[in-house]
Amino acid sequence: MISRMTPGPPALPRSAMSAATQNAIHTTTAASARNLTKTFGRGEAEVHALRGIDLDLPRGRFTAIMGPSGSGKSTLMHCLAGLDQGSGGAVTVAGTDLGSLDDDALTIFRREHIGFVFQSFNLLPMLTASQNILLPLELAGRGIDDAARERARSLAEALGVSDRLAHLPAELSGGQQQRVAIARALLTQPDLLFADEPAGNLDSATAVEVLDHLRRAVRELGQTVVMVTHDQDAAKYADDVISMQDGRIV
Amino acid sequence: MRTVFFASLRASSRRYVAAAIAVIVSVAFVVVIGVLISGARAGLMQSDGAPYRGADYVIDAPEGRPSPGPSCCPGTLNTSAAIELIERLGENASGLGRVALPAHDEGGAPLGSGDMRGETTVGPIATATEMRWQKLVSGRFPARMGEAVMHVWDAKAQDIAIGDRIRVGERATATDLEIVGFVESPTTWTQASMYVSWPQYLQWRDHATFHIGSVAVRGDVGRLPEGMAVHPAAEYVTESLARLNNGTDAFALMLLLFASVALFVSVLVVANTFSILFAQRLRDFALLRCVGATRRQVMGSVRREAAAVGLLASLAGTLVGVGLGYGLIPLINALAPRTPMGPPTMPTLWLLGGLAVGLMVTMAASWLPTRRVVRVSPLAALRPETTVDVHQTAGRVQLALSAFLLVTGPVQLGMAMIQGSTVLMVSGGAAMFAGVLLLGPAFVPALVRALGAPLGRYGRMAAENAARNPRRTAATMAALLVGVTLATAMLTGMATWRMAMDKHRDTRIPIDASLTLLNKPVTADLLDDVRRTPGVERAIAVDGTLARITGWDAPIPVLTTREAAQVARDGGAFAHQIEPGTIRLDHDAFRSPHKELNIKPGDRVTVRVGDRQVRLRAILLGGWGKAAMVAPETFAQLTDTSQPHVIWVRAAPGANWLELVDDLDGLADASGAVFEDRLQARAVGNRQLDILTWSALGLLGISVVIALIGIANTLGLSVLERAREHALLRALGLTRRQLRRMLAFEALLLSIMATLLGTAIGVGFAWVGYETFVKRALGEATMQVPWPALGVVFLIAALTGLLASILPARRAARVTPAGGLSLD
Ligand SMILES: Nc1ncnc2c1ncn2[C@@H]1O[C@H](COP(=O)(O)OP(=O)(O)OP(=O)(O)O)[C@@H](O)[C@H]1O
Ligand SMILES: [Mg+2]
Repeated sequence: MISRMTPGPPALPRSAMSAATQNAIHTTTAASARNLTKTFGRGEAEVHALRGIDLDLPRGRFTAIMGPSGSGKSTLMHCLAGLDQGSGGAVTVAGTDLGSLDDDALTIFRREHIGFVFQSFNLLPMLTASQNILLPLELAGRGIDDAARERARSLAEALGVSDRLAHLPAELSGGQQQRVAIARALLTQPDLLFADEPAGNLDSATAVEVLDHLRRAVRELGQTVVMVTHDQDAAKYADDVISMQDGRIV
Repeated sequence: MRTVFFASLRASSRRYVAAAIAVIVSVAFVVVIGVLISGARAGLMQSDGAPYRGADYVIDAPEGRPSPGPSCCPGTLNTSAAIELIERLGENASGLGRVALPAHDEGGAPLGSGDMRGETTVGPIATATEMRWQKLVSGRFPARMGEAVMHVWDAKAQDIAIGDRIRVGERATATDLEIVGFVESPTTWTQASMYVSWPQYLQWRDHATFHIGSVAVRGDVGRLPEGMAVHPAAEYVTESLARLNNGTDAFALMLLLFASVALFVSVLVVANTFSILFAQRLRDFALLRCVGATRRQVMGSVRREAAAVGLLASLAGTLVGVGLGYGLIPLINALAPRTPMGPPTMPTLWLLGGLAVGLMVTMAASWLPTRRVVRVSPLAALRPETTVDVHQTAGRVQLALSAFLLVTGPVQLGMAMIQGSTVLMVSGGAAMFAGVLLLGPAFVPALVRALGAPLGRYGRMAAENAARNPRRTAATMAALLVGVTLATAMLTGMATWRMAMDKHRDTRIPIDASLTLLNKPVTADLLDDVRRTPGVERAIAVDGTLARITGWDAPIPVLTTREAAQVARDGGAFAHQIEPGTIRLDHDAFRSPHKELNIKPGDRVTVRVGDRQVRLRAILLGGWGKAAMVAPETFAQLTDTSQPHVIWVRAAPGANWLELVDDLDGLADASGAVFEDRLQARAVGNRQLDILTWSALGLLGISVVIALIGIANTLGLSVLERAREHALLRALGLTRRQLRRMLAFEALLLSIMATLLGTAIGVGFAWVGYETFVKRALGEATMQVPWPALGVVFLIAALTGLLASILPARRAARVTPAGGLSLD
């Protein structure tokens, strides 16, 4: 069983902007799917990865999506995150219908509203840890001011990687890489933070740290986190659990 | 994106080295061509262009209008207008011309011997020292009236020493000139026997043969008199040279060919490098797209990377090219001392062109791979393993395009051969070659398997390996294929062309030198003496008889021989293939300032020996001296007795021809014979051919280097690309040595295949070039395939492949299986 470590790490930095944004949006749903389907291939090779998903993800909560391998967890997440378009149905994130966006608009939407933590290969190998954390701002063409730097530094400190900021990903352990990825995902305070098997590659102690950080992001910063996993223990960190089977929510 | 841009550039710098080298080499190549051409031009300017050295403009009579000059000399300037112009420009003008005058030595005896006996030609020397083009061999230039320099060949032939006095002209214009120096003239264009100061030259302005052909001008010409045309000096020389080379500027053709080939190769290598590089970074791009980089941002970043690589590499290439070019010129001069390459002027246009071309090549070559990169979906980052190769075999579009090129290419080549169009030849050749390259992935696997099968276990394994990714294999092969094709086509073309040029000249000047005795037969002693003279390869006595011929007012020898093959450069054809009923006359030999053969080709002439006479049809050819040639049957009609009257000499290659002429002239004088030689003309012709040949060889060397780098480059990248695969093989039990051997076999297979293919295509191209270009310019040309040289190319190419595989194979073998498997 996993337990919280004491003494706890420094608190995650909550910014004024974050509070303001949260107050401004009065909906309680961060993202929703209506009759979402996804079909791969044609004819003989046709695979129905999603068969009509109806889903509302409440804001400020930690949701786990569980299910056996091939049940469509990753596909659902890709559709919710705007990485892929569904074959039918609609996806709404932060009040925006993703189906109405073209590739550029979708990309900019992702940049501003969604954060990612993947199982592996989260970081650009040629950038240092701190450059990786600041990448979303860089891509947005926003100037990286002292405030942003300070925020990145305090996020890194909270996640325990502040002494590794000048290192390249290849020089970091798997757990450290995941924590840098979380820091990057939190930097822009996205409406939704997606994590696909964020601890899948890690040993249990490191996995605990990473999951703990995600939960603290929900508790302390009011972030909405959606995590895909097939690990029962990992799912225990979540507030809600959605189970999937054969492309349907059960 | 700036951080990403710089970080990517830094992180991939080792891999960009490959692309950068390709760009550096091709830019350097273009720049080296520029420097070498500038050097060769300077070399030709120093020889044939010498009269216009230091000049900015050349003034001559415009073509295609009635000649304004004196009646003796068509195409020359109006004499008094030219003199007026030269006087107006003073020191900044140098008139070029000649006057033929009677000449006698101090004792009053006619100067010289033979045909030109009692004759000399006099030309002016520029007033400004910088504009004097004659090369001083000894003594000094004339400083005042009454002084002259003499051409060293003539001085030797006529036994003139510095300090001797010569009486030139007759009656009112007779002047005693003191010889104060000897000169050599770098060109035959405006050559005279003696040169005097401009005022002295003007003394003979009313003489019938006095003319001013052109004027070299330094600085501004000012108002141009009526009936004159002005040309930039360099252009004038180039155009005149082109006219000499049968209307083809060989340089321009070579330039076009090499520049386009260099560009083509580098586009190939750079595109190849970029597509492998980008394929390796596909996941990076996908991740960037995930975290919010738009297509345009990714594209912009990648384009900027390509531009940075292109710019840096182009700059480096320019520097390397300038260094290499300036280094090659002394080397070429040392290797071929008879081929003076001049000090080149900095070819600014070429430098800028090279820079721009490098940048453009990189951008163009990265264009396709970049587009493919940008199409990557963000999801690619999430797949556990992205496949590196986007396309494994030739796509349908590619096959269609190559089919199109393989049809239109040969059609263009065919039309080029029919119409003699160089442009069609180049474009058709490029189309066909591109077609072959594009088709590569389709036929490479079968070819490589067929080649690898007899090579045993490693051969088969390497062949399977190479056949598995036809696209990569074809790309690796391409650089060497281009190099071998180019080398083969060039070597074959050059052998054909050189052979044709030599033959062309040999038929026009079959006999190097001759001694003619009019009044008595040649003695065996004289023949022996001639044969013993150093520098004589062979000499024969030719039988003949003295005859009188209508159209010429002095007796001339009429010769017939079956032995000309021993000495004649053309194999004796000029003497052996004479039809009965015809007589061959050497038109040039009968031309002197005073009189000329009054016979036109095809005229019927009466030839009389004693009381017999025959009417014969005249054929005017040249190159054996002042004698007529007839068939033995004709000869028998003229006389029953024949005695040797002429000695024909063939000079040994590499001998000192100047001394040889001197010695033979001495023998001729002593025996009362008339001596004629064509050795100076031959020497000048050789020098021109050598300049072209050596420039071509220099360029060829560079293209071989490109090919070497190209293949090492692609092979290195392909090994890098397969690191994981090799690691797996190693994990499964392949030893280091086995891996190295496998890669070496693969490289060897590829290079042999490229060489075979390249030789076939190259010889084909050379044949097209021969049909289009050489055969048209030089009718007698036959196709020459230099098999030994091609054998050397084959060996070099095979070795190149092997050599190119050493480093990448070592690197691949060094990686441990675990390290390779965890590579990202
Ligand atoms: N790009 C694709 N092309 C074709 N079929 C796909 C594609 N991606 C997913 N699928 C199929 O869709 C179904 C759902 O896949 P998905 O990746 O969502 O499963 P998952 O629940 O994430 O499984 P795991 O726990 O193994 O990651 C599977 O049957 C899979 O084979
Ligand atoms: Mg999954």
